[in-house]
Amino acid sequence: MTTETGERRISPGWRKTAGAFLRVDVIEEINYPLTLAMQLLGIIVPLVPFFFISELVGSSRTVGGDYLTFTVIGLGLTAALTGAMSGFGSSLQRAFQRGTMEVFLVQPVPWTTLPLAMNQWTLMFGALSSLLIFGVGALMGADFQMSGVPVAIVIAILGIISSTAIGICSAAILLLTLKSAPLLRLYSFAASLLAGSIFSVDQLPTWAQYISYALPHTYVINATRTALMDDPGTFHMSTTTAIVALVVFNIVFLTVGFYVFRRALELSRKMGTLGGY
Amino acid sequence: MSSSQPPASIVVSDLVKVYEPSPRWMSFLVRSNLKHAVRAVDGISFEVQPGEICVVLGPNGAGKTTAFRVLVGLTTPTSGSATVMGYNADKEAVTVRKLVGWMPADQRALLMRHSVNENLRFHGQLQGMERDELNRAIDETLELVGLDGWGSSTCFALSTGMKARLQLARALIHRPDVLILDEPTGAVDPVASHELVHLIRDIVSERQIAALISSHRLEEIETLHSRVLLLDEGRVRYDGDLNSLRQKYAGPMLTIEFRNADSASEAGLSLKSADIGSISHNGAEGVVCELSPNVTHAQVLSLLQSQTEDIVSLQESVTPLHAILANVYRDKKGGET
Repeated sequence: MTTETGERRISPGWRKTAGAFLRVDVIEEINYPLTLAMQLLGIIVPLVPFFFISELVGSSRTVGGDYLTFTVIGLGLTAALTGAMSGFGSSLQRAFQRGTMEVFLVQPVPWTTLPLAMNQWTLMFGALSSLLIFGVGALMGADFQMSGVPVAIVIAILGIISSTAIGICSAAILLLTLKSAPLLRLYSFAASLLAGSIFSVDQLPTWAQYISYALPHTYVINATRTALMDDPGTFHMSTTTAIVALVVFNIVFLTVGFYVFRRALELSRKMGTLGGY
Repeated sequence: MSSSQPPASIVVSDLVKVYEPSPRWMSFLVRSNLKHAVRAVDGISFEVQPGEICVVLGPNGAGKTTAFRVLVGLTTPTSGSATVMGYNADKEAVTVRKLVGWMPADQRALLMRHSVNENLRFHGQLQGMERDELNRAIDETLELVGLDGWGSSTCFALSTGMKARLQLARALIHRPDVLILDEPTGAVDPVASHELVHLIRDIVSERQIAALISSHRLEEIETLHSRVLLLDEGRVRYDGDLNSLRQKYAGPMLTIEFRNADSASEAGLSLKSADIGSISHNGAEGVVCELSPNVTHAQVLSLLQSQTEDIVSLQESVTPLHAILANVYRDKKGGET
C-alpha cells in the first residue's frame, strides 16, 4: 500500500482514523447526558403539533390522505439529511474554536479523509433522530407501507451521500473563512422552504417548483412518500426518477465537493491560516 | 557533510515564506486586514542533528512559528526547502507527520473533556499504533513524563504544568525521530518549567531525538546548554552555541560603586558619551556597564580619570543572556552568522 506521496504506507488507515474520531465524539456527547437527552426530546417534540394539525385537517386531499404520515416522512428525512450535511462543518468549526484543529492536522492522516471521519457522529445522530421520528410517528398513528421500506432505504442512503457532499463544499468555505457556513445556510433555507417537508411542493408557485427540482431533498422526501404511503398526495415523485436524479447529484456533488475541499486546503496552507483561528 | 557525522534530522535550506493578502474574490466571504505581502521567513538555513537540541529565539514576528509550521506541513514554503529525516515537509507531509512529535504553544490543543489516557489513545490511533502497542506506550510515556497514576484524570482538572507534560507525552508517544516544541513552557510556572526543561533534555539525549524548541525564557536556554538559533525579521542573526555567542556579542560587565551620587552621575554621563556599551545606574552610587565586545577595563578607567579617586569598588560579572541578545539585535549590520 502506498501513500499519497508514493512512499511506504504510513497512514493509520480508514478504520483506525474513523474509530479514533468516533470514539472522541461519543465520549464528548456522553459527558453531557442532560444535553443529549434534551437533544433527543427536541427531535420528538415538533411532531406533537403536527399530530394535532393532522387531526384537524383529517383526510383533506390538499396534501394527501394522511397528513401525519406525510409530515413524519418529511421531518424524519430532513433530520437525517441535515445531520449528514452539517456534521463536518460543525465539527470543523468546533475544532477551530477549541484550538484542537492544528493537532488533528499534524497527524499522518491524509487530510481528505477528515470530512468523513469528523462527520460520523453527526451523521449517526441524524440517522438515529430520523428513526426516532419514524418510530414515534408510528406510535402516534402514522401508517407506512412496509413493502416500500427497501426502496425508501436506498433513497435515504443516496440522499445522505448527496447531503454529505454539500456539507463538504460548505466546509471548504469554512476552511478559508474559519467562521460560519454561508453555503450551508443558503441550501438549508432553500430546502426548508422548497423541498416539501411539511407541505406539498405543488402548493408552491410554479417558479419555486422549478428551483425545488435542483435540491436533492425534494427527491428524497417526495420519492420516499411514494414508496411508503398508500396515497402520497397531490405531488407525485416516481422512485425511479428520484434514484436516477440522486445518483447524478452524488456523482456531481462528490466530485465538486472533494475538489473544492482540496483546493481550499491548498489555499489555506499557502495563506498560512490552516488550523489557526 | 563529513562521513563521521550522522545525517541531519532536520535540514532547512534558504527557506522563504511570504504571506500574500487573500485573493480578491475572497473578500465577499471574509475581510482580511493583510493588505500587503509579509515576508515572515526570509531565506533561513539550519540543520539539527539527532540528539541535538536547537533553541529558536526571537522577538514576536521573528518567523519562529512560521518555520515550525512549514516543517510539519501546515503551511507551504514560498521557496527553499525543509526536510525531516530526508523527507520533504511540503511534498511528503504525511510521512513527515509520522516522524515528528509536535507540541503546539496553545494548551487548548488538548481534548479537555477527555481523560489523560483518551488524549494519548486518540493521538496513538491516528499514528497507526496497534491496541497492545498503544496501551504499553501510554503507560511508558506517562511514567516518562511523570504523569503515572493520572491516566484516568480528566484533562481540564490538571494543573498547567501537568497539561504541558501531557502535551509532551502526546508528542512522544509514537517515538518520533524529531520533536518540534513551540514554547513548551510558555504558561508554566518557573519551578515546573525548570523540571520540564530537564525532562526534555534527558529524553532527547536518551532517545537521540533531534529537538527544535522555541522559547522566550532565557534561563531555559542556559539550562539546556543547547545550540541557539536567533531569528529576527525572518532572518538568522546567530546560529551557534552560547559560549561562542558570549564571546562574539558580550564584553565584560562592570559594576562600579562610587563614594557619592554626584560622582556616579558624572561618571555615567562620561561613559554614555563614549559609546562603549550599555550604561545604567544601580542605586544612586552605582554604575553598571554592559561593555561592547573588545572594550577593555583599561579603556573604561581611562574614561573615568577625573573620578578614579571616588571609586569605592569595581566588580566584574557575567553578562546576562538578555543583555547579549539585546546586543545581537542591536547589531543589525552584523548580518547572518
